[in-house]
Amino acid sequence: MHGTEIALSARGVRLEYMDRATRVSMLAIERMDLDIHEGEFVAIVGPSGCGKTTFLKIVDGLLPVTDGEIVVGSGGHGRDHAMVFQDSSLFPWYSVLDNVAYGLVCQGVGKREAQDRARPYIDMVGLSGFQSKFPYQLSGGMQQRANLARALTVDPELLLMDEPFASLDAQTRELMQAELLRICAAAGKTVLFITHQIDEAIFLADRVIVMSARPGRILADIDIELSRPRELSVKRTAPFTAYEDQVWKLIASQLPALGPQRAAA
Amino acid sequence: MAAQSSQLSRRKHPGNAQPPRIVLPERLVLGVIGFVAVLIVWELVVDLKLEKASLLSSPTRIVTAAIQDFGSGAIWPHIGTSFLEWGIGFALAIAVGIPFGLAVGMFRRLEYLVDPFLAALYATPTVAIAPLVILVLGIELPAKAFLVFLFGVLPMTIATINGVHSAERRYLDIARSFRAPAMLRFRSVILPSSVPYIIAGLRIAGGHALVGVIVAEFLAANAGLGFYISFNGTTLNSARVFLGILIIGAFGVFYGEVIRRIEAKFEVWRPALR
Repeated sequence: MHGTEIALSARGVRLEYMDRATRVSMLAIERMDLDIHEGEFVAIVGPSGCGKTTFLKIVDGLLPVTDGEIVVGSGGHGRDHAMVFQDSSLFPWYSVLDNVAYGLVCQGVGKREAQDRARPYIDMVGLSGFQSKFPYQLSGGMQQRANLARALTVDPELLLMDEPFASLDAQTRELMQAELLRICAAAGKTVLFITHQIDEAIFLADRVIVMSARPGRILADIDIELSRPRELSVKRTAPFTAYEDQVWKLIASQLPALGPQRAAA
Repeated sequence: MAAQSSQLSRRKHPGNAQPPRIVLPERLVLGVIGFVAVLIVWELVVDLKLEKASLLSSPTRIVTAAIQDFGSGAIWPHIGTSFLEWGIGFALAIAVGIPFGLAVGMFRRLEYLVDPFLAALYATPTVAIAPLVILVLGIELPAKAFLVFLFGVLPMTIATINGVHSAERRYLDIARSFRAPAMLRFRSVILPSSVPYIIAGLRIAGGHALVGVIVAEFLAANAGLGFYISFNGTTLNSARVFLGILIIGAFGVFYGEVIRRIEAKFEVWRPALR
């Protein structure tokens, strides 16, 4: 089903950092080995503070690794990757159109051309007619649509998404999940999606990676064999809840109050 | 005439049935009443000889002085001189303070280098430096403009540095994530984040520069509003002292309004706070 080309390869990725307050070296990520194939949708879930967002920042190049190696992309068209950030990451001083065109402007594309190339993506995410609004004039869900369009506009091979729906209300979040599947199917993107919502990960992804509590490492790599296209109603089927149970047990084992001690895990 | 005006005031009375937009805002009405009350009390205090007119003057005496000095044109050279000193000195303060502040805010090593110097200057009342400036540069326009520059440049620089520092990490991360070149990172994140601080700096530094004008003219001058005030003060012409103060105050209010308009222009992307 998916291409054989590797879109992202992480080998022995490790991250230590110096805690500024205590001046003690902390281990954020113990070891991550991960291959993502072209066209795959991979979700990473894990307990709070497990280093999943940190891992995404490493992939994006915002943080240097202490050890290991990251290879992104096969060097085709466009940018090799682009990030969809958490909420309120649009520039408040830019209109929707300027925000969505920003990635292209960063590549040196002229402003007018960047805007022309951004417009189809504004339509794609369902923001037609809102291009001259400022972010504060949009709802949270619409802001995240613009956020997604900004990443899509640079035509990346790999889309990195950092808990993009975390701050949305439950109904808007479900709607956005369905929208994301529609858009990704239309645009044919490889996606690495970070979330702390188990049902979100299972609903969206071909593979769900479960991370341990800090320091982060991979506990399980679960193939989600639910047919596509998926409707939201799939969340109430038996196979779906079975996946939920499986992932929840893994995460619960990492929470000191709920599962066995960390040493046993 | 009297009937007409009473009719007019009744029509404007807030209690009458009127579309709400015509009603004068309570804030404005009370503000004017307070202001007029002070003028009346002031006039009465002097007219009832509770205090000497030569010291306290009075609203009518000030108006008379204004009519005389504006009528004869005698005040204009003073206003022109002060405005010129303010304009040149403050323009220089802006031209130096904003770029310097941006550079110091952006480059950490430069900040380490100049920070002790800025802190020391900031702790020193600029007035204390004024006699030295006059001593070195003389009493002509360049010396005065330089003193005004000194008063304005520091608040301008520090406000701009604070503006750069206010640029939020999450926005800088976005610029880095999209591989924005340094110049674009500056234009798309650092500058827009700094603008509210720079405008606040303009407001404060403009006021400081005005203090610089008056200080310079108090020390040594033969023209300007500061000279006008101090000269009339030594000759016990208190109405003209007040007139000079009022002109400076009016200029300060006018300048504040100009800044407010600039601010409104830059802040279309902000939700209305009130």
